[in-house]
Amino acid sequence: MQTRLIHIILRWLIVSALFLATPVCAMDTLRVLAWPGYADPDVVRAFEQRYQAHVEVTFVGADEVLWQQMHAEHGQLFDVVAANSAEMQRYTREGLLAPLELSALPNTRKQLPRFQARASIPGLIHDGRVYAIPYTYSTMGLIYDRRQFSQAPQSMNAMWDPRFRQKVLDFNSAEHNFSFTALTLGIRAPFNLSPAQRARAAQRLIALRRNVLTYYNQPEEATELFVHHKVALMFGNYGTQQLSLLRRAGADVGYVIPKEGALAWLDCWAMTRAARNRVLAQNWINYMLDPWVSGLLTQRQGLANTLTASTDLTPNAKIIWLEPVVDTAEREALWQKIISGDRPRSF
Amino acid sequence: MRSGLGVKLAILMAAIGILASGLTGYYAYSKNRIMLVDAAQRNLLTSTQLLNRRMSSALNEFAADALFMANLPAAAKSATGDAGAKTRLYYVFNALLAAHPEYLQLRLISARQHGLELVRVDRDQQGLVRVQGQRLQEKGTFPYVFETLPLATGQIYLSRISINHEYGAHAAEGQPTLVIATPVVGPSGTCAVVVINVELASLLKMLQADLPNHFQLYLANNWGDFLIHPDPSQTFGFDRGRRILMQDSFPATQALFNHSSPSLVINGLEDPVQARDQVVAFVRKPYGQPEQKQFVVLGLAQPLRDVLTGANSLGKSIVRIVLAFSIISIALSMLFSRALTQPLNMLAHAATRFSSERALEALPLDRTDEIGILARCFDRMRSQIKSHMATQYETQQKLAYLAHHDQLTGLPNRMLFFQRLELAIGNARLRNEHLAVLFVDLDHFKEINDQLGHVMGDQVLQMVAQRLQNMVRASDTVARLGGDEFILLMEGIPEPSALNAIIDKLATSLNAVMALEQQSVRIGASIGISLFPQDGDTPEALIHHADQAMYQRKSQGRHMACFDQPG
Repeated sequence: MQTRLIHIILRWLIVSALFLATPVCAMDTLRVLAWPGYADPDVVRAFEQRYQAHVEVTFVGADEVLWQQMHAEHGQLFDVVAANSAEMQRYTREGLLAPLELSALPNTRKQLPRFQARASIPGLIHDGRVYAIPYTYSTMGLIYDRRQFSQAPQSMNAMWDPRFRQKVLDFNSAEHNFSFTALTLGIRAPFNLSPAQRARAAQRLIALRRNVLTYYNQPEEATELFVHHKVALMFGNYGTQQLSLLRRAGADVGYVIPKEGALAWLDCWAMTRAARNRVLAQNWINYMLDPWVSGLLTQRQGLANTLTASTDLTPNAKIIWLEPVVDTAEREALWQKIISGDRPRSF
Repeated sequence: MRSGLGVKLAILMAAIGILASGLTGYYAYSKNRIMLVDAAQRNLLTSTQLLNRRMSSALNEFAADALFMANLPAAAKSATGDAGAKTRLYYVFNALLAAHPEYLQLRLISARQHGLELVRVDRDQQGLVRVQGQRLQEKGTFPYVFETLPLATGQIYLSRISINHEYGAHAAEGQPTLVIATPVVGPSGTCAVVVINVELASLLKMLQADLPNHFQLYLANNWGDFLIHPDPSQTFGFDRGRRILMQDSFPATQALFNHSSPSLVINGLEDPVQARDQVVAFVRKPYGQPEQKQFVVLGLAQPLRDVLTGANSLGKSIVRIVLAFSIISIALSMLFSRALTQPLNMLAHAATRFSSERALEALPLDRTDEIGILARCFDRMRSQIKSHMATQYETQQKLAYLAHHDQLTGLPNRMLFFQRLELAIGNARLRNEHLAVLFVDLDHFKEINDQLGHVMGDQVLQMVAQRLQNMVRASDTVARLGGDEFILLMEGIPEPSALNAIIDKLATSLNAVMALEQQSVRIGASIGISLFPQDGDTPEALIHHADQAMYQRKSQGRHMACFDQPG
């Protein structure tokens, strides 16, 4: 009786093991490295069903972590990666990425003309081949209090306007502050400043310091300061995402892309050189540009997608896509002195 | 059978004993753990609340120092640019910094000139440093300036706890700090602020002053970012662009952040996922100006191991007690099963011995229990069987006697005679001896029977039997074949000639007058003899010969013995 039972159990186990094992063995695994919100479980599940594949997603929260993951195990850990265009430029130069076939990415034709003009965006093309496809972006425009401005500010210079003394909020970042200040100084290459240009920018940033209330780090912090101190103008590092926070806190705010142009980050998808199944990897990138998937990004994360036009990004708006900053360390050193309150003569 | 019932009983009872003591032990152990953790939770919450109060009093002390400095006349005077006042204030700052190792920086900051520092003393690795001239910085963009300036006299600004990134702040640079500030009011309103920079590590040391070493402290700001954590890499994550939140590490603390509860305790016994191997108490502490609605969450953790040390030693003694009780229960169950099976075995043995040997073994008759009853029943049954068997034996003996003897004379009958003759032939053949069979037939018995009646006849036969027995040796056999026929077996005959004398003696004796009850009769007998081995070697042959001889004799005349003449 007992041996009979054992036989039944064994047979059942073997049959179920075979049944379970077969599809797993047959399925390809796609290893995705992305930011939170870029590959939600339901989106991943739908992809797995559509392409009969298994997807493993690893999330990162910082560019440094992304860099570490991309370099771990000799860059063999992932098939597709999401990173901003400046990072992509570094990865392409290091040869970590594989070129993409546009014919395998039919959804790119649905993108806004600005994003199809890949040559105009630094970091997407290398040696005539496409390495990254734009996915989402955020501009760093000016946020202003509609009650304190009868007309929307047109220029970045409004931040230096003494009328708004201690009514301006700036973001605490060496790179961006030097870049946008360089733009106000009419410098063409804001990501690579000469020592003289940097010195000019530093003096102008001290002037800005004397006009701002303070510097913020987190969007929640900015919202609190904006409302509590009746701030008039703010450098919107987190872009339109900050607007909803501010409006929820009761602020009547507007958003403009200044005439000098707004810095903007652009996150892209790319395929790594280590991609095991290039067809599947490109299917993923194409799938990310599916109106349904890109739409969810906007709906859930409040992030702009590359398929639908947004109110802030008019076709004529001047966008300066972020590029790797060459003089980071120098900017950092100066910035520390500036925000710590060093006076002009100590520079 | 012997091992079966006893062993089974012993195992069953031992198992019940072990199970009972084991379950009791386990219940006591787990109940004790729960009680210990409950007590630890209460203590920990009290400790955390104490910590909370200690933090309040530390902050009050800092505030008192700030107010003391702000109220110095030198403070307001320094704001007007009075160099002497600045020097006097410098001395005060110096003295306070010397007395308070937790202070990293003391400053007087102007309300004008973009928040220019007026008097500043920093702590350095070597000691105290007065910062002067061009090295004084504009601090207008720092909350401790722009948030403090609008405050009324006597009000205190308390900064969020953050890492100090102010360039050139000496020992304070890069340190987690807390800033306390208060406005300095001059003749024309607020003219400056006094700012104290407190090192978080020193505050932490003050808070932890008399907490046991293994207690771990957590502190989070009102968004949940860890400021203090046993693992320093988990603190100030926001400063490195990576939020590390208390709500993520301890989801239960969400209740503190959304104000649904002022304190809570979790423990690793009930919630091993959140409070892994720990008991942790959390208390929300309002912080800074009430209108800012700021707070921090203080957490205190104690390793579960510490809490359960008592339970573990109890557990060990419980294990020992359970083991001891198990051994006792095994021993007791063995003894009990022996006590139960021994009398049963005794009964079984007695039954076996009685059935095989009719032996009356001792029985536990004195017992008053069921075994005693069983023993007494068995004993009664045994005596009944014994007496039945004795009666049966007697009857058998009687039947056997009746089967082999003649009822009237008490002599062996034909059957017994044949058996004895057969035996005798065997013996004689072995010893190479002779034996003789004498066939005696009474003469005139029929007449006596007819004339005097059966009773008399019977008396005659009894008398003849007696005479025949008297005439022969005890080793010879006299038997009655029936009617008036008797037969004799004589063993160990040296030679046939000796027989004649015996036959004469017999004939004479049988011929003698018999005195019956009323009269005397005289009866004669004819005797036929056959000899072994001459006349045959089987009982039938010998008897037949003797019979023949007797008839021959009878036909020749009575009272004579005659050997059968062969042929």
